[in-house]
Amino acid sequence: MAGDAPWYEAALLVGVTNALNVVADSPLESLEPPSPSAEAQTVFADIRAFYDRADVPVPFRRVASDPGYLTDLWGATRRVFADNTLTRRHKEALAFAVSVTTRSSFGTAFRLAEMRRLGVGERGVMEVLGVTQMFSSYTKIADTLQLEPDMDHIAAADPSPAPGGTPPAPRTRPPEAP
Amino acid sequence: MPTVRLRDAGEYPEPIQKLFEVAKAWFKYDFAQPPAMSRVMAWDPELGAFHGRAMKRAMTPGEFSRAEKEMVAAVVSGVNACAY
Repeated sequence: MAGDAPWYEAALLVGVTNALNVVADSPLESLEPPSPSAEAQTVFADIRAFYDRADVPVPFRRVASDPGYLTDLWGATRRVFADNTLTRRHKEALAFAVSVTTRSSFGTAFRLAEMRRLGVGERGVMEVLGVTQMFSSYTKIADTLQLEPDMDHIAAADPSPAPGGTPPAPRTRPPEAP
Repeated sequence: MPTVRLRDAGEYPEPIQKLFEVAKAWFKYDFAQPPAMSRVMAWDPELGAFHGRAMKRAMTPGEFSRAEKEMVAAVVSGVNACAY
């Protein structure tokens, strides 16, 4: 888990997970088009294949009246949850932790099912739940006492450039006065 | 600024100072002072023992590695908007 890449990936996943959950947990059933367009159906087919399930998860159904938006939302979701630096299995565990922490009924049930589908056993589920619960405790203790970060210097800074970019030029020191 | 004065390790009784050594080994880092959270949890050693054991049990490698779990912890902390 060295370097910044997995952390960027995790942060993007947190954002997308929350975006899906807020729509799924809101009373928006009336937005689901009774007969999605052919374009939306094509996206739905890809979603079903990705999740290996017969139905389309709620957040995607609710934006299907705008197929262009659905396409991009799904593209972002697929990108962020596919195997990359982090495995898909680990990503679903992170999304589960986010969903439990934000009390998302949809996200908690959906991510739990995804973790199990991807092979996480009951012990693994309990591990993620335990970490989520323990750090939901630590964070509130820290906030109540307004503790300041004191472990952020443990990890070394990642000097690598942005993906596809070039490393920063070495900093030159100005000449010192004689 | 913390709302309480965090006590230095030396202000804690001897048995607690040994626990701070255990914490140092857990993080594999030689802190000048134990992390603030370790010192807070040591304020009530009985609670700290239960809480610490539960945390270690949760963080110990199993189906997920320690690194994967540290990321779960970081994500939960981020969602809770906890700067610490």
